[in-house]
Amino acid sequence: MSDREFGNNDDLSLPKATVGKIITEILSHDNGITFARETRDLLIECCVEFITLISSEANEIAEKEAKKTIACEHVTAALDQLGYPDYIPEIMKVAHEHKTQQVTREKKQSKIEKSGLTEEELIRQQEELFRSATNKFNAAP
Amino acid sequence: IEVRTKFPVARIKRIMQADEDVGKVAQVTPVVVSKALELFMISLVGKAAEEAKARSSKRVLSSHLKQAVQKDEQFDFLSEIVSKVADAP
Repeated sequence: MSDREFGNNDDLSLPKATVGKIITEILSHDNGITFARETRDLLIECCVEFITLISSEANEIAEKEAKKTIACEHVTAALDQLGYPDYIPEIMKVAHEHKTQQVTREKKQSKIEKSGLTEEELIRQQEELFRSATNKFNAAP
Repeated sequence: IEVRTKFPVARIKRIMQADEDVGKVAQVTPVVVSKALELFMISLVGKAAEEAKARSSKRVLSSHLKQAVQKDEQFDFLSEIVSKVADAP
């Protein structure tokens, strides 16, 4: 179930196990109701079609704005156009969370780069920290 | 309904870019599409389950999913996909 490129260029589908888990979560409050395997597979087709639908619409919207990159705002506009405006508040929440995480990611990356240390030096320092922490832990009564 | 399991974001991006017209995609975009997909699934799975229950079935079959699709305008784009499914007896 790797997402790496080798050989699987035609795998434009979603992993069955993942979709299965999500179905179970959605139906968790619904005593005993399960999806037949064929239904799960059919649902996967519907999901892929949904992604394609949104992408296509978002792409058109981006193109009309002469933008070369599909951004979040194009996706929300697409959802609105296609009759899914109720999804937009949740989407905005996710986009915001992602932006916040991105700032943290960039700060961490920048700190590593600014330290001017090589990867070997960083690993050595990390091992030193682990050793010192272990010693402190073992020394305590 | 809270869903903890997430779709693979890289896979979603691949599906999006399978469309030749689609070029670059911002980093946040597949994440956002993943959320939309989750909401879509909650809706469709829920409605299919309702159809099964209406027929006193504990197993949701393809025919139930087909019924759910046909009953809601929001799912019109899926009519071709479900057309191959036999109708419930």
